[in-house]
Amino acid sequence: MPRSQVGRDTDRVDGRLKVTGAAEYSGDYRAADLAHAHLVTSTIARGTITSIDPAAALASPGVLRVYAAPESRLALYEVTGQAAGFTENYLPLKSDVVRFHGQAVAMVVAETPEQARDAAALVTVTYDAQPPRTSIADEPHVPAGPTISGAPSSLEILAPGVGSIDAALAASDVVVEAEFHQNVQHHVGMEPHAILAVWDGDQVTIHAGAQIPGPYALAMAQRLGILPQSVRLITRYVGGGFGARVVLWSDTPLAAAAARELGRPVRLVLTREQMFTLTGHRSHLTQTVRLGASRQGVLNAVSHRSVAERPTTIAFTMTPAHSTSDALYRTPNLHVDAQVAVLDIPGSRAMRGPNEAPGAFALETAMDELAVATGVDPVTLRLRNQATAHPATGLPWSSKHLDECYRLGAERFGWAGRSATPRTRVDGQWLYGTGMATAIYPAHRRAGVVARVRLLDDDTAVVSTATSDLGTGSATMVAISGADALGIPVQRVTPEIGDTLLPPGAPAVGSSGTHATVPMVVDAARNVIAELKRLAVTADRSPWHGAAVEDLRYERGILHGLGHSLTFGRLLTTIGSPGIYKESAPGGQPVPGYVHHSFGAHFCEVRVNRFTGETRVTRFTTVADVGRVINAKAARSQLVGGVIFGIGHALLEENHLELDTGRLASSTLADYLVPVNADVPDIDVVMLDRPDPVLTGPLGDGSEDVGTGSLGARGLGEIGTVGSAAAIGNAVYNATGIRVRDVPITLDKLIDHL
Amino acid sequence: MRPYTYAQARSVREALRGAGPDTAFLAGGTTLVDLMKLEVVTPERVVDINRLPLDGVTLDHKGLHIGALERMSDVAAHPAVRQHYPMIAQALELSASAQLRNMASIGGNLLQRTRCGYFRDVTTPCNKREPGSGCSALDGINRGHAVLGTSDACIATHPSDLAVPLVALSTTVHLASPRGTRSVPLDTFYTLPGSTPDVENVLRPDELITGITVPRSPWAARSLYLKVRDRQSYEFALTSAAVALELQGRTITNARIAAGGVGTRPWRLTAVERALTGRPATPATFEAAVTHAADGAQPREHNAFKPALLRRTLVRALTELQESR
Repeated sequence: MPRSQVGRDTDRVDGRLKVTGAAEYSGDYRAADLAHAHLVTSTIARGTITSIDPAAALASPGVLRVYAAPESRLALYEVTGQAAGFTENYLPLKSDVVRFHGQAVAMVVAETPEQARDAAALVTVTYDAQPPRTSIADEPHVPAGPTISGAPSSLEILAPGVGSIDAALAASDVVVEAEFHQNVQHHVGMEPHAILAVWDGDQVTIHAGAQIPGPYALAMAQRLGILPQSVRLITRYVGGGFGARVVLWSDTPLAAAAARELGRPVRLVLTREQMFTLTGHRSHLTQTVRLGASRQGVLNAVSHRSVAERPTTIAFTMTPAHSTSDALYRTPNLHVDAQVAVLDIPGSRAMRGPNEAPGAFALETAMDELAVATGVDPVTLRLRNQATAHPATGLPWSSKHLDECYRLGAERFGWAGRSATPRTRVDGQWLYGTGMATAIYPAHRRAGVVARVRLLDDDTAVVSTATSDLGTGSATMVAISGADALGIPVQRVTPEIGDTLLPPGAPAVGSSGTHATVPMVVDAARNVIAELKRLAVTADRSPWHGAAVEDLRYERGILHGLGHSLTFGRLLTTIGSPGIYKESAPGGQPVPGYVHHSFGAHFCEVRVNRFTGETRVTRFTTVADVGRVINAKAARSQLVGGVIFGIGHALLEENHLELDTGRLASSTLADYLVPVNADVPDIDVVMLDRPDPVLTGPLGDGSEDVGTGSLGARGLGEIGTVGSAAAIGNAVYNATGIRVRDVPITLDKLIDHL
Repeated sequence: MRPYTYAQARSVREALRGAGPDTAFLAGGTTLVDLMKLEVVTPERVVDINRLPLDGVTLDHKGLHIGALERMSDVAAHPAVRQHYPMIAQALELSASAQLRNMASIGGNLLQRTRCGYFRDVTTPCNKREPGSGCSALDGINRGHAVLGTSDACIATHPSDLAVPLVALSTTVHLASPRGTRSVPLDTFYTLPGSTPDVENVLRPDELITGITVPRSPWAARSLYLKVRDRQSYEFALTSAAVALELQGRTITNARIAAGGVGTRPWRLTAVERALTGRPATPATFEAAVTHAADGAQPREHNAFKPALLRRTLVRALTELQESR
C-alpha cells in the first residue's frame, strides 16, 4: 500500500518537461496567422507627447499596424471596482500624457518579431517635457494608508503613564537609532513577460504569466470591455513571479486589443530592458529604527518609520514595519509609521517579502546594534525579547516555534564560541565574521479558493484549481495533497492548474498558495468520496446496490463493505461511469482570534577582503518554522532561493534612479546584478515540520475516510528572503567593525574603513 | 536592427575588398550582434571573417603569437599560455561567461565596446555613439566609469580584461589592409577619447586585426591578473591589475604593471614599475610604489572610490603574486 508522500522529497511532476524544454511557456504557444507586436516606450518621465510620426515604421517591411498615443485605434476601457486594484490607472496609448520614463507610447505589429522590433525603432516621438518628481527626500510625504492586509500602517502603543514614544526612548538605559536606505530593486524573473492573445468571436484566450489568474482575467475583461466569462487566461508554466506578475500591466491589454482590432492572433514579448519599467519594481526607501532597552537588552521601546515611493500609475503601499517591528518583539512601547512621496516614476509592485524583507533588514540590523551596545549575545537578545502575544493586537499565534529555530540554528551553525569583538578572525587576506537575524512572514488565508477532484475509471484522479505555478512546485503540491487525501500514489494524480476555466484557485502570492489550496483539495476529496459511496449504493450494476452508505468504508483508493472490495476505478467501470467529480466548498476566512506567521532564523558567515573590500558569503544556515511541509524537496529549494534573494538584497541588487530625468539607470542583467552561482555557498536549510493546528489544522468532522496528513501547512515562499540580508550585514560588521546601513553592501562602502 | 548585407570572406584580401566605415567584420559576434540589435552600431555590410586562416597559438623565441580568430576559451586553455603567460590565461578566464568565451575571438576582444549604459541606450546623448550629442555619464550614474584618461566628452571605461595583461607585456597588434600589413604596439593602438571619443584606436576602416605577438620575457611566467568586482563571476571589472615581477633573490629587477576598469583604455603604470624596480619585494615596497598609481585621476560622483581601490588592488595583486611563489 502506498505511504503518504507528504513531507518527503517528491520530484516535480513537470520537472522532466522543464529540463527538456518541452514545457510551453506563454511565449512558446503558437497560433495560426500569428502577428507580432513590439512596444515603443517614452524617453521622458513627465510631460506630454507633442507628435508621433509612424510613417517610416509603416513603410517598413512586414508592418501591419502602428498603434500610437494619444488616440490609437485600440478599444480599451476603464477598470473599476475591486479589479481596479489589479491594474494601472490609465489607458495605454489613449492619451498624450507621459507618466513615467519607459511608458508605452506606441506599438508596432508586424508579420515577424524582428520586423516589429526594427520598425519600432523607426517611430519618432517628440515631447513637451516637465521636470519629474523623483526624490523621496525632497517631495512632500503623506501617510501611506492601510497595509496590504488592511491593518493601519501607523500605530502607537504606549505603556501606562508614558507620554510619547520619544519619552519612552529617552527613559531607556540604552538607545540605538539607525537610518537605512535602499535603492530600487527589480523582480527580474527569468522568463520575459510574454502574451499571446487569440480571439474567437467575442471570446479571447490569453496566454500570459499571472500570479493571480482570477482577478487578472477580471481586470482584463474590463480593460477590453467584455464580459468576465469572455476571457480565458492560461498560465500553465511561469518563469518566476516574485510579485511582478500579480497585476495586469499595460502590455497584456495592448496585445489583446491589437489582436481584436487586427483580426489576427497577436504575440507581444517584452524586451529585458522594457521589463525594468513596464512590470514594476520594489520601491526605494528610507527607514529609521529606534530601539530603547535596559542594560540587559530588554526592549522598552521600538520605533520604526519609513518613507517610500508612490508612483502615480500604480503603487504598492510599502509598510516595512508591518509584520516586522509590529510583530516580532515584546515591547511596552511601540510606534510604527509609514509615509510615501508621490513620484513620476514607473509603477511599483510588491516584491518577495514586500514589506518584510526591507523591514527586517532595518529592524534586525538595529537589533544587532543593540546586541553590540549592551554586550548581550544576538541570539540571547532575541530570545530575551521574544513575543508570546502579537505586539500590535495582543492576539496569540496559531503556531510559533521561533525559539526552537534560534536554538537549532545556533547549534547547526556552530554559533557558540563566536567572538563578539569585530575583526578578530583573519585568514590571509580575508576578514571573517558571523551574523544572525530573524525571519518572519505573515500567513494570509485566502477566501474563495475552490478545488475539484475527479475520480476516473482507470484508478487515476485529476485535481483541478486555477492557481499558478511560478516555478515553485505548486502543481506538484496539488498532486501530493490530492494523493494524500485520496490515499493513492502521487503518480496516479494529475494536477490541473493555471487556467481560468478551472475552479477559482489560490493566488500565487504572499506565501499563501499551499496553505490556501491544501484544505480545499482535502475537502473536495472528501466530497468526491461521499459521491462515490452514494453511487455505489444507488447504481444498478454496483455490488452495493441498495445497501446503506454507512456500510461502506473508503481506504486508499478502495471501497470496502459487506464482503466486497473494489477500487474506485473498478467500481466506476462496473457501473459504466467514466468518472465522477466534486468540488470543495469555497475556502473561508481564518479562524478568528489568532495571528498567523511563519518564522525562521538565519545564521551566516562572510569573508571580506582586507585589501579590496569584496564581501563573499561562505556559510549559511536557515531554520524555518513553516508548519507542515508538503514536499521537502521543493520546500528546501524555495527556502534556498529565498536566501539567495537575500544575498542579492544584501550585496548586489540596486537600480539607480536618475533624479533629473526619472530614468532608471540599469536595464540589463549585466548592469542590474543578481547573484550568480559563484556568489552562493552551500545553504543549510532545516524545516521544523510542526503542523499549524489552526491556520490549516484538521478539518472539523474528523472523517476517517480522508487522509489529512497534508493539513497544517503554512507558506514558505518568502521566509528565506526576510532577514537574510540583515544576517549578512551583521556578519560584515562582525568581520570588519563596519556597519553599513545602505544596501547593497558594496566594497566602495567598506574600503575607506578597512 | 537595421537591414544589412551579409557576405562570407575566404581570404583576408577578400574580406578587405571594399571595406569602409559602413563595414563590420563578424567574428564571434558577441559584441557586434548585441550592439546591432540595440542599433548602437548600424553597419550596411557585415563581412563574416570566421573562415579566414587567422588561427593558431604558437610560442617561439620571439614570443607568443595568437591568431585574431582564436577563441578566448581555446587561448585560455593553451598550455604555452598557461605556463609562460599565466596572467593572460587568468584574464581570459575571468572574462564574461563560458558561453561567451567559447564564441568570442581575440581580435574581437581587443575591439569590444564599452559597457557604459548610456552608450548602449540610443535614446540618451553619447559622444562616443553620436559625436557632439553630449555625455550623459558625466553627471549620470557613473559608478563603473573611468577615472584615468577621461575627457569632458567621455568617461567610458575600456572593458577588456585581456588587453590589460597584453598592454603590460608590450604586445604588438598585427594589422592588414589593402595597402599591406603593419604592426602597432597595443599601448598606442588605443587612443584617448579627447574630443573624439567615437575614435577608439588607430585601426582604419579598411583594416583588420590578423593577430598579436606577446614578447618573450623572463617576468611573464611570474605574473598574475586580479579582477575586483561586486559579484564573483560574469561582471566587468571595477578595477583590475595585471602584475608581473622578475626577482633576483628578494630584489625586484623588472616589473610590468597595468590596470583595468579605471581607464578609458587599458592603463599601463610605468611609474609604479619604476618604483618597484631595484627594491625588495615587501609589503612596504608595494605600498610605497602604488602611492601615485592614480595620480591625475578625475573621479565623478559615483566612482570616487576608484583611485583608492586601484591602489588597494595593486597592492593585493603584488602581495598575491609574491605569496604564490
